[in-house]
Amino acid sequence: MSGGGSASDGGARGDGDRPRDARTDGGTQSKSGTLDRALQDITLTKRIKWGMAFLISVVFGFFFFEALAEVGFSVAEILYYWPEFQSALGDFFPRTTLFGLPFVDFGSYWQFIQERDLLGAAIVTLAMGFAGTVLGIPGALILGVLGSERVTPYPFNFIFRGTMSVIRAIPALVWALIYIPLGGVSPFTATLAIGTDTMGNLGRLFTDALEEVEDGPIEAIESTGANRRQTVVFGMLSQVFTPFIAWTMYILEINTRIAVTMGLIGGGGIGYVLQTQRSLFKYTNMMATILVIFVLVVSVEFVSQRVRSYIRGEEEEGLTVLKLIIEFPQRMARSIWE
Amino acid sequence: MSTIEVRNLTKAFGDVRALDDVSFTIEDGEFAVLLGQSGAGKSTLLRCLNGLTKPTSGEIRIDGEPVNGPRDDVAMIFQQHYVLGQLSAYGNALTGALNRTSFFRSLVGWHSESDKYEALRALETVGLLDQASQRTRSMSGGQQQRVGIARALVQGPNLLLADEPVASLDPASAETVMGYIRTAAAERDLSTLASLHQVNLAREFGERFLALRDGKLVFDGYREDLTVDVIDRIYGDVQTADIREGTEVSA
Repeated sequence: MSGGGSASDGGARGDGDRPRDARTDGGTQSKSGTLDRALQDITLTKRIKWGMAFLISVVFGFFFFEALAEVGFSVAEILYYWPEFQSALGDFFPRTTLFGLPFVDFGSYWQFIQERDLLGAAIVTLAMGFAGTVLGIPGALILGVLGSERVTPYPFNFIFRGTMSVIRAIPALVWALIYIPLGGVSPFTATLAIGTDTMGNLGRLFTDALEEVEDGPIEAIESTGANRRQTVVFGMLSQVFTPFIAWTMYILEINTRIAVTMGLIGGGGIGYVLQTQRSLFKYTNMMATILVIFVLVVSVEFVSQRVRSYIRGEEEEGLTVLKLIIEFPQRMARSIWE
Repeated sequence: MSTIEVRNLTKAFGDVRALDDVSFTIEDGEFAVLLGQSGAGKSTLLRCLNGLTKPTSGEIRIDGEPVNGPRDDVAMIFQQHYVLGQLSAYGNALTGALNRTSFFRSLVGWHSESDKYEALRALETVGLLDQASQRTRSMSGGQQQRVGIARALVQGPNLLLADEPVASLDPASAETVMGYIRTAAAERDLSTLASLHQVNLAREFGERFLALRDGKLVFDGYREDLTVDVIDRIYGDVQTADIREGTEVSA
């Protein structure tokens, strides 16, 4: 869309230029010939760009409508079921009166939070995310460092890069399904799955961070007569120490969200409570659970952001609590398919 | 102390000869300065001496032993100092001792008592003992370069190489850093070869001078032989020619 917009801007500018060119025609004959040719070239390029933008829009539109048809998207359906959703909304947000004014009944949320010990469930989810991250770090370090072309010579580093690609190609939820024969449907299986996922994702981030290291300090360490492994650790890894910690904190945030979704397939923790209440159509209880999830994920993100800005050692803006809350639904949704 | 013997050293990068049949000998304990304009081959020569670059042909012997790769008795100071910003001045100085520390011990920072003292002594030599635990990232350019010198000293070398050690420093820091290099070399009886492009600094600090131009050794002598004519031969006319042609002079 933005491509089309800029093309139209360019076109307008081109039209505006024309009268000015006509005025310069009063100059030398040969010079005006050159300008005419330049103008022709520019006009032709513009037309080709326009044509391309149109063609891309048509193809894009075609695929979009095909995709909608494929998923059976229908506005009629939304209208038909709207009353049902509306009544569910009433349950999601139970009403009470406060000083005579209608208000959301937080009391019924709190009642469920205490009744089902949702804070305990949230701690299980946090434990899954944290333990999974820590279990994944050694594998991520080994695969990530050996996957760098600067540590392992060219064709061989692809053994490790390839391993990480395969791990990443399989979503964490699917890893949990794969591990079911190992530990049943349990938080333990979910933690193993998160650990595996971390090796692929964090390892890849480590490899990318290593591409950024400078040659100078590596040569400096090499020239002291240090051996190969010492050169890798002191010359290379010491340069990426800070980014490694920052990436690990970032993966911890993602893993906490994945741990929530693990519950949806029966992996335990807070996500499991959400799944149970959904199947019982207890929408008020569902919303109470969602609130706890919200607090859990935002807290982990807040801590992670603080740690990251602290180790960077500079007082940067950082994410405000407000921004964390506004962007929460988007990140939550992303973690389900990542 | 070390004797450097360079015989018919040539290094080609594709068609370009960065070093062309260079031969010289530096005796034990000499403080030699390598002159030449940018691109004359100074860095290439130092990198060959250090074993970071393999020569195309010719031979380098240090104390009779041929150079095949980086070795612990040859230390190098780099123009961009290349210290590890993450570590303290002390931690950086200790990386000079990596060659005599096992991988595991270096990983957990379990250095021998003598190496710890050696690192502190080196920091004292370059006047940074009070800033030993400061992170090098937060230090000035001159201080970082002094940390680089301390690292080279902890290595316990016989030969100290310095590749434009003061080129990215302001004139006052350049004087200070060159002073520290000379003091360190004198205290520890090191043979030194430092490349410089500032002729005034070179004259102030050097005893022995080598000069490269387009990869060839064009001068080899002592201070009294380094006349204005010689300096003109190394730099002068080329610079004026460059200015005449309107090309940029890199110096």
